[in-house]
Amino acid sequence: MSLRVLSPVSGRTAALAEVPDPVFAQSMVGPGIAVWPDTAGAALAPVAGTVATLHAHAFVVVGADGQGVLVHLGIDTVQLKGEGFTLHVVKGETVRAGQPIVDWDPVAVRAAGYSPICPVVALDAAADALDVPQPDIAIAAGDPLFTWRD
Amino acid sequence: MAGKDDRAERILAALGGADNIVEIEPCITRLRCELRDGSVVDEPALKATGAHGVLRSGAVVQVVVGPEADTIASDIEDLL
Repeated sequence: MSLRVLSPVSGRTAALAEVPDPVFAQSMVGPGIAVWPDTAGAALAPVAGTVATLHAHAFVVVGADGQGVLVHLGIDTVQLKGEGFTLHVVKGETVRAGQPIVDWDPVAVRAAGYSPICPVVALDAAADALDVPQPDIAIAAGDPLFTWRD
Repeated sequence: MAGKDDRAERILAALGGADNIVEIEPCITRLRCELRDGSVVDEPALKATGAHGVLRSGAVVQVVVGPEADTIASDIEDLL
């Protein structure tokens, strides 16, 4: 069954290769797409499932079929140590697709000197398993971002 | 799975052992390791543990282990 992955944030799509972090740019943990976020607010769960990993600045939701989707809010934002991020869920919680996970402000992240770009990664997916949109397309939080075929 | 249980041990050894560790911090897909001596890192051994990649910048070495980074980091902490 293919999994529809929602955009966690609103903004414009960008190729993963554009992300200034080799782990994402080289798809080391899986293929995906990035979103340049444009507004402060809640980052949403991209799929329904369990919050398998949760940091202030990043999280993984694993769907019923074991497919894990990673959302990273900005690059090197681990160094903000959670400042400016407000969590709405706990690790292990079951969430629905589109449920708010964490509030943040990409403008503040940029002002702090970090790239706010958000990689959305299909963990350990085959490179050709995703139907990703073209880069530089406007997208709203909660809109379908890509499809993960298995 | 065979080999999984001693993964933390093997990663620690490839990083030069407990004495070489200043700090290990998990960051969702990777272990950010601050080492006393970055030159002793055994990259092929890290890859052999299933690491997707190794990023080196002097004494700071990032081991890309995937989303189990949190678990592996706490397993390594237990060994220190």
